[in-house]
Amino acid sequence: MSALSDIGTPAATDAPMGRRRRRFLSMGGWELSLLVLLVVVTTGFGLVVPGFFDDVSGFLAMSSNFLPFGIVALGLSLVIFTGGIDLSVGATASLAAVVAAQLWATMGLNIWVASLLGLAMGGVLGAINAAVIVFLRIEPLIATLATSFIYTSAAVAVAGDSPPSGFPDAFNNMGSGALALGSFQFPYQLLLFIPLAVIFWLLVGRSAFGRKLVTVGYNSEAARYSGIRVPRVLAAAYVISGMMAALAGLVLSAYYSAARADMGDVLLLTTIAMVVLGGVSIFGGEGSMGGVIVAVLLLGLLRQGMLIAGFSDMVTSMLTGAILIGSIAIRNVFSTRVGGFGKRLLAFIRRPAAAGPDTNRHDAP
Amino acid sequence: MPSRRRAVAPRFTMTRELTLVAVTVGLTVIVGLLNHDFVGAQNLRFMLLNSVVLSLVALGQTLVIAMRGIDLSVAPILGLAAMVCGLLAQTHGLSLAVALPLALCIGLVLGTINGVLVATMDIPPIVVTLGTYSLYSGLTFLYSDGTQVDAVPPTFAAFGNGRLFGIVPLPTPVVVLLVVLALCWYLLRHTGFGRAVLAVGNNAAAAYAAGLPVTWVRIRVYALSGTLAAFAGLMFLCYTGSATVTAGTGDHIELQSIAVSLIGGTAIAGGRGNLIGTVLGSLFLSVVLTALVFLHVPPIWYSAGEGLMILAAVQAGFGRRGARA
Repeated sequence: MSALSDIGTPAATDAPMGRRRRRFLSMGGWELSLLVLLVVVTTGFGLVVPGFFDDVSGFLAMSSNFLPFGIVALGLSLVIFTGGIDLSVGATASLAAVVAAQLWATMGLNIWVASLLGLAMGGVLGAINAAVIVFLRIEPLIATLATSFIYTSAAVAVAGDSPPSGFPDAFNNMGSGALALGSFQFPYQLLLFIPLAVIFWLLVGRSAFGRKLVTVGYNSEAARYSGIRVPRVLAAAYVISGMMAALAGLVLSAYYSAARADMGDVLLLTTIAMVVLGGVSIFGGEGSMGGVIVAVLLLGLLRQGMLIAGFSDMVTSMLTGAILIGSIAIRNVFSTRVGGFGKRLLAFIRRPAAAGPDTNRHDAP
Repeated sequence: MPSRRRAVAPRFTMTRELTLVAVTVGLTVIVGLLNHDFVGAQNLRFMLLNSVVLSLVALGQTLVIAMRGIDLSVAPILGLAAMVCGLLAQTHGLSLAVALPLALCIGLVLGTINGVLVATMDIPPIVVTLGTYSLYSGLTFLYSDGTQVDAVPPTFAAFGNGRLFGIVPLPTPVVVLLVVLALCWYLLRHTGFGRAVLAVGNNAAAAYAAGLPVTWVRIRVYALSGTLAAFAGLMFLCYTGSATVTAGTGDHIELQSIAVSLIGGTAIAGGRGNLIGTVLGSLFLSVVLTALVFLHVPPIWYSAGEGLMILAAVQAGFGRRGARA
């Protein structure tokens, strides 16, 4: 929350006229370095860790362990683009999954109908977040902190003493099954994630809504004066985030074939890490969906690789934390845009050439 | 408003404190009428003692938030300090006189790491403390190696539950809290450092332009927050006589400390910190949670009560969206 750094560029792709350059899949330097890192990590684990890459099916099957995080990260990115945060994603995932499971278990609803209602529930919870933020004008951090407490209680209450479990196999397949094409197995979770990732990538990078989202995050006053209905854009972001959280909750309950009230707790911190590692500024208005998608795969595969290599869950979490801090630190040190240590270091190195203050706040091409 | 607003507005903050006292006392009286045990000496003492650990953490959090930062890593710092001191006391007979400086050192080092990362690398505090949250809770896990603390020496238990020197009419933790509160209050309101904290919280760029050592102030505030969290960890150990791997993180004390800071009247956008309000806020939280028990509300709704309380308190005037956080 450094005031020195909260003036950012609207997006990596938004270089001013005359400086616009063609970028590979509209990715900036950060996204490309993440992509390189992803290739390095995957190849490295594949060569060094036995069991990481035995065959394509086995390799793809690992994705079922981290894609629920990715689904949440897609929705959460929209909220962070607007300069907000949604701390209630974990509680939303649990509550929506538990509600869907109870509709199936006690009211005898078809599991897919119950799931759709669960998704709608996620949208409603997101709308409540948006209402608290827009109408009560409460800071998103506090608003979603408070609602996450409330949703958690509600989830525990709905789950009851014996949470529903033992869903039909067709539903469980969504979490742990795979589409068999001959001897080749393609996990259903990946089948779900790929179109979602494409849709979100198009939504943010190629649609008017995406432009508005980023503009609101960059400067919500300016967005308002340029005729963007800021409350509507914010509401859309929180509703989508709630629905994606709910979807992740449903996938998790399919994965475990049980809906527990504390299921979503693990989602929050890792997904924030994925979004931030993906290059989305926590202050909003900066970043790209491509970066988030690469970061989801990078953090997910890194984690799986370390677990297969025999590191404990806790050590893996610690390393994830260190990578999060380390990568942002490296980016800041080598970026001339922020007024931090890196800028001073560079100014020191280039001292003879340095003349006058650096007013160019854009990434150097 | 902003042009005329002083760094600290005493009249306004006093209103907040009086409101909190009135609401807390009112709630105590109402619940006391319904259930006389609620206002019994034993329960009043319990509610007071129960708020001390959270108050200590939240005092540090208040300073961080007043500087327009946030510290999520207080929970694992609390847990690590409690675990290290507890295990050493349980297995090697570590005395309280050694445990205290040890805990403070742990907090100082971990807090300084946060501060250095935030201040010199220019990483957003929420990202830094999210990362160190995983790191520090991992350290606790590795250090404890699956064991837990369930028996602390009698001196520890006496420090956490008894009276200071056996004569002061208040429980020791409460006296300690009042001393820490007084020190922090003096630091924030009557020293150059305190003014620098509020100045950085109001406008870091302006504070930098005015010649304040912004980087150094930031490092010191995070170090202080870490130290207070670790001290709270030692207090937690003495008060409960136990420490597990999830001490602090399991109760989400980092979120609770943010909540009571805001209830107490500290602005999330920075520039305003109310330490007395923070302590009253955690006392209020303790009273509310105990009242829910006495009113036979099912435990699953405690967390919802907390959420509604945060919304109500923030809606009552503070923590509104000002500048972009």
